[in-house]
Formats: sequence, C-alpha cells, structure tokens
Amino acid sequence: MTSTAILAQHVRRTSLAKRHPAILMGSLGVLAIVLSFYSLSVGATDVSMGDVFNAVIGNTSDQAAQIVVQFQLPRVLLAWLVGIALAVSGGVMQGVIRNPLAAPDVVGVTKGAGFAGMLLLLAIPGIPVFAVVPAAFVGGLVAAALVYLLAYRRGATPVRIALVGIAVSAAFEAGIRFLLVRNPLDVSAALIWLTGSLFGRSMSSVLQILPWVLVLVPLIVIWARKLDVLGLGDDLAAGLGEPVEKTRRVLLLFAVALASAAVAVSGTIGFVGLIAPHMARRVFGGRHLASIPSAALFGVLLMLFADMIGRGLAPPLEIPAGLVTAVVGGPYFLYLLVKTGK
Amino acid sequence: MSLSVGTAPKSSEDAAHKRPKIVTNKQRVTWVTLVLLVVVVAGVAWGLSIGSQHISLARLPGALIKADQPDELILQSIRLPRVVLALCVGAALAVAGALMQAVAANPLAAPEIMGVNAGAVFVVVLAITVVPSLSGAPTILLAFGGAAVAGVSVMLLAGSGSGRVSPVRLALAGVTASSLLISLTQVLIIFDENSTDSVLFWLVGGVNFGTWQDVRNLLPWLVLGLIGAFAMARPLNLLALGDDMARGLGQNVERTRMIGSALVIVLCGAAVSVAGPVAFIGLIVPHIMRRIVGSSYTVLLPLCAVGGGVLVLYADILSRYVKPPFEVPAGVVTALIGAPIFVYLARRQKVTS
Repeated sequence: MTSTAILAQHVRRTSLAKRHPAILMGSLGVLAIVLSFYSLSVGATDVSMGDVFNAVIGNTSDQAAQIVVQFQLPRVLLAWLVGIALAVSGGVMQGVIRNPLAAPDVVGVTKGAGFAGMLLLLAIPGIPVFAVVPAAFVGGLVAAALVYLLAYRRGATPVRIALVGIAVSAAFEAGIRFLLVRNPLDVSAALIWLTGSLFGRSMSSVLQILPWVLVLVPLIVIWARKLDVLGLGDDLAAGLGEPVEKTRRVLLLFAVALASAAVAVSGTIGFVGLIAPHMARRVFGGRHLASIPSAALFGVLLMLFADMIGRGLAPPLEIPAGLVTAVVGGPYFLYLLVKTGK
Repeated sequence: MSLSVGTAPKSSEDAAHKRPKIVTNKQRVTWVTLVLLVVVVAGVAWGLSIGSQHISLARLPGALIKADQPDELILQSIRLPRVVLALCVGAALAVAGALMQAVAANPLAAPEIMGVNAGAVFVVVLAITVVPSLSGAPTILLAFGGAAVAGVSVMLLAGSGSGRVSPVRLALAGVTASSLLISLTQVLIIFDENSTDSVLFWLVGGVNFGTWQDVRNLLPWLVLGLIGAFAMARPLNLLALGDDMARGLGQNVERTRMIGSALVIVLCGAAVSVAGPVAFIGLIVPHIMRRIVGSSYTVLLPLCAVGGGVLVLYADILSRYVKPPFEVPAGVVTALIGAPIFVYLARRQKVTS
C-alpha cells in the first residue's frame, strides 16, 4: 500500500521517463556500453580507450590491448550477464510475491545455489564445469522451497519471508564455511564463494551462463503483462482469466534459475537483485514491460561499477565485486526497511 | 508466576510443604545444574585429552600441577587455555544474549543478530590494520566502542518507523547492518593479510588460537559483566512484566535498560575481541535454557553462563574431529547448530505476527 502511494508520487514527478521510456532506456544502455569500454581499459596496466576499441573489433596487433581483451573481456561480459540475471530475477520475485523486500539473496536462493555448486565442485573434483549451473539450480530451488514452506502460516507475509530467508541463508552460509574449512582454498577462491567475485573468470564461465540468460530473460519480458496482472492481487488476476498459481510457479522457477546461473559463475553476489528492480521502478514506474528490461540495465551498471571499484581502488589488490555490492546495498536495504515501516 | 523460582532461597524447605509446584521446578533447576556441571567436567577432560597428540585421562591431574614432560607442557600452555577460553567466551555471549532479550523485550534479540558482534569485529580489525602492534586491553576497549555504536544504530534504525520496535524489523535491520559490517571487515582483511585462516577467524570466530594472554584479557571484563548481570536479575524479572507494570512496581525502567545494554556491550566486546564472533551462542542458549528452567532471570542467567560455556566447549571439541590434523574455528560448528534453531524461532507465530 505504501509502495503504491510512493509510486504514485513518482508518476507525477518523473512522467517524462514514463511517457518515453525508450529514450531513457536507450541512454542507460549507451551508458552501460561506454562504461564497459572504460572498464576494459582500467586495470593493472592502463590501456587507452581507442586501443581497446580497436582490439575488440579485432584490427590491432598491439600486444597490451590484446592481453587486456583476453583477460578483461570475459570479465566485462560476465558483469553484463550476471547483472542482467540477478536484476531480472529480483524484479520477477518482487512482482510475483508482491513483496518489496524479495530478492534472490533475501529469500535464500543465492546461498543455497552457492552451497550446492561448491558441494558439487568439491565432492567430484573432475566434474565438468557445465554441471555446476544445474547443481546450483537445484540448490537454489531447495532453498527457495524451504523458505516458502517455513514462512508459510496462513499466508506468507513479506517480513516473515525475509526473516526466514535470512535464517535459511545463514544455514547455507554455515554450510559454505564448513566446506571451506574442510577443503582449504586460497583466499581469492574462498572469497568468491563467500561474497562473489568476477576475478579470474574466463570465456567458459560466460558460455555457462549465456544460454540461461538468452532463453529466460526474453521469455520473462514476453510474460511481463502476466506479472502486471498478478500484481493486481490473486482474486482480480483470476477474474481476468489468469491461472494464478501456475503462472506464479513458472515465473518463480525462472527467477530461481536465473539467480542460480549467476551464482554458479560468480559466487554469491548480494543485493544486486534487490536494488536494481527498485531503481528501475522509481524511474520507469511499475509496469513490468518497462521495469524488467530497465532493471536489467541497472543491474549491469551496478555490476560494472562494483567490479571497477573492486579493481581500481588499490590496483594490485582485488576487492571482490560482491563486497562492493554489499557495502552499497546494505544501507539501501535498511532505507527500504525504514520506509516500509512508515 | 509459578515460574519464578529462587527468589526466596532460604525458605526452600517450608515451600516444599506448601507449594509443591515451585519445588518441582526447583528440583529441576538443581538437576539441570548438576547435569551441566558433569557435562562441563567431562568436556574439560575430553577437550584436554584430544588433539594431534593424544594424552590419556589418567595423566591429566598430574599434568595440571607440574609441567616437566612435553605432553604436560602441551596441556598447560596450549590445551588448557583453549578450554578455559571456550568456557569464558560461551558464558559471556550467552549471558549477553539473555540480557539483550530482556532489555529489548524481543525474543530475536541477540548480539550476533543486532550487529553488536559485527561492530566489535569491524573496529578490532580496523585497529589491527591501522596499528599492527595493537593487542590486549586497548583492543577490547575499542571493541566496546564498535559494539555500542553498531547496537545503538540498529536500534535507532529499526525504531525509526514507528513507536514500538517489532521483533522482525529489529532482526532484519540488525542482520543487514551485520552483513554490511562483515563486508567492510572482509575488505580490511584483504588489504591487511592474505591468509584464509585469519579471514575465517574474524568471520567465524573460534578459540583454537587461544592463549593464557587472551584469558587474562577477557577475565576481568567477564567477571564484571557476569556479576553485574546476576545483580540485575530482579529488575529484569520485573521488566519482563512489561514497562508499565515494572514502573508501577517502582522500577526505574530506563536505568535498567541502560545498565543492561552497557553490560551486553562489555560482555560481547570482550568476548569478540579475543575469540571472534562465535555464531548464534547468544541467540540459542537463552532460548534453550528458558525452555528447561523457566524464565526467571535469577536462575536463567547463571545457567546461561554455564550452558554457553558448554556449547562453545563442545563445539570446539567437535570442530577438532572435522578434519583431524587441522583445527577449524568453533564458530563453524555453532553456526551449523544455531542456524536451524534460528529458523525455528523466525517461524514462530509470536515473533512475526
């Protein structure tokens, strides 16, 4: 109720963005692309933007630029894919559960997927990396189901889902720490599973997550109207001829799958799935046809910023992107909490 | 009111004839105390004898008095401080949790959930990063500051929406603040030192590096905190009746809250600065004890101290069996035990309605 009131305020204030969402979304996209090129050029050795551009389109022999493309390009591509996957997943969850606090990390999906992926990698050392995404999916699904079942008592209120989600996340995180202790990894590998990072990722990671994003995100955008209908409430949606339970389950399944794929390649990056949809709704309003794609763009921007800050703050050292998103996202979640309480 | 035991300890024999219900509870308290003490003694013996060098139980008493042989040295300088530290840290965190639940009138309040532990850890790690030579008493004082700031901010944030702070909002605000502080701590660790051991120590907590120096640093604050807490038992019992009732009975509610919070900060800050944020002790021990002996703080607080010690001690023993030559932080084990109990508490109707 409060969120609709706040949304109504913003309809008046930012009506330009809502009347011509394509223009603003286009400029967001351009910003993301420029940022990507900039991100390619920042690193341990700086390369000029021109060289990077030439290297990407393939007509250069400059050694430094080529190295940068080889090592940085997968990373930037991954920032795009992970940002899109997490943000769309969060947007769908917030729409389907009608809960402003819902997000893949709040409802436990992130930690569940991380635990399952890590368990698989450690239990079967020679396993091909392509098996990690399905394993993470199973873990995320189990975690989401657990949270929903445990939170359900004559309906599941937003705060109870969030609280039970935190509790279930804590259990899975304890599991991740347990695995870390049993199988000591080096610090950067350990931090990937604890907080999420894009460090040292190759093209194979990109290929792992790419099919999931390419298939699921367009499907969700096509179904954006169904999300709008679900947002009207169960009774009204059923009255409009929507098979409420079925649609809800399918959409949640998609959301869990997207978040799990992101976790499988980048670890448990938090708060992107929570913040990006909120930013999108503030700017573009509550219609999902506009808010889901723009949430994806905000997710990309967040990931690119987090990765760049992590790399650029103290050059030889890498601060995992997940830490940066947590430092930015924590206060935002607190702000949301304070706001939903009023 | 049938649960209020131990308020009149002298007339126990008279009460035995007149009010049998209280006596059963009193007997139960006695039994629980005895069982806990036996468990403590068994745990101490077990904790002393296991490790990469097994030392038989028969040699324990002799080794505690004089240390001539290598085995006895191991016992005196490595295992004994570890066991003592486990008991002390557990007692501090569990009593802090019980105090916090009373002061905040909130079943989900606990140092690890309200961000108090994370605040203490962040400040300690920050201090160590800036001044590497820092250790001992100054660290503990800084930890008090971190714990206090974090705890007060969480209370303010959670309460800024409406008058009364709901348990769930407090928990959500606290957990988020904790995760924020833990992230910042991780950033500091990356700058400071690149070893997984130290990362896990400050994120998980444990007593496996415990020394006599740590025990000496913790002990004065622990004694102060425990005596203060036990002295607060009666005001806390009255506080549990509700603010209005407590005021009507002549209590200074605000003063009780202030002193209680200060004790929480002393206990948590001291425990965290020597052992890291051992997870969930302050949340689960008071709940378990309340189930067994009722909610009178006169008996609850001392039993929480013993129960917390037992939990950390056994978690530490268990953690040595995880991967024998290596030692894992006890916090991993307490987190695995504590998380399901947290789920159970979060699910309860009373908490979330």
